[in-house]
Amino acid sequence: MNDQPMQDDLFFAEIAVLEDALEASHCAPSRLKARIYSSLVKRQQLSGPLLSLNRTKESGRDLCVFEELVQILPVGERAKRFNCCSVCHARILGEQLEHPPIFWGNCPYVAFRRE
Amino acid sequence: MPSATPQAPEPKEPKIQFHDDKELAAGVLRKDRKATAEWVSLYADSVYTYVRRRLVPRADRVDDVVQEVFLAAWESLGQFEGKGNSSLGSWLLGIARHKVEDYYRRCLRQADMPLEEDYSTSARANPQTLDEALDRQRAERKTHLILSQLREPYSLILLWRYWEKRSLREIAEQTGRSEKAVERLLARAREEFKRKWNE
Repeated sequence: MNDQPMQDDLFFAEIAVLEDALEASHCAPSRLKARIYSSLVKRQQLSGPLLSLNRTKESGRDLCVFEELVQILPVGERAKRFNCCSVCHARILGEQLEHPPIFWGNCPYVAFRRE
Repeated sequence: MPSATPQAPEPKEPKIQFHDDKELAAGVLRKDRKATAEWVSLYADSVYTYVRRRLVPRADRVDDVVQEVFLAAWESLGQFEGKGNSSLGSWLLGIARHKVEDYYRRCLRQADMPLEEDYSTSARANPQTLDEALDRQRAERKTHLILSQLREPYSLILLWRYWEKRSLREIAEQTGRSEKAVERLLARAREEFKRKWNE
């Protein structure tokens, strides 16, 4: 009886296990993370507005300088649910560059940047 | 290495604020943008690593598939909330696995399957145990290299069968091919892999 296929199966099962065990984990490119975040927020908006910046702030999250500005402005809730990142150049930089020069705190695109 | 030239101060990375997966998922479902950013920060690397390994021959598709994973996860995140013990990370990897298999299925449905007469048993390579072959690091690199060099259907069928541990029957059902046809494709893929392995 030809036992070649079984030997082949063992050979491949062994290298599959070996390769999975040895391959180091990789960091996703920060551009990819930025694009995923942007797409997610866009997708979230399809079913209604984002959580208001007031509510975000109240729950203890830190806002970026631009979000902070919108949050303290005497404007309605609708404006505070606006996705500021959609008109921010940090988003464009984050989606295009691996090390975007964003130098202010609490910008979501900063968190994706690989050091 | 520290730099001698003064630089703009590095912005502080946001602190991890959601201490458990359910809380984080609930934040994302509330459309809290900070929770969403944290979700991506925390899990994109593991999803990326998994998809990259499984799409060795199509590195150019990795980014798109990773993005599809997160978008699909958003659509069904409500279902995660209801589940008790599974971590958000392993739940996401489950979705990633489905997305990778969707990709295999699409490719192998379109691939030309070898005819019966194409598969010559005499051409099979000699079996070789790994211990005799190469040290572990070299073997891993070699495996990766060969998978990236094989024709796409060959790499994908090997990955699906041995890395994802799917049976021939499952693959046949998923691709709409006969089990025999899948077996022949797998045999050709193994043969080609081993030929390159022994070169």
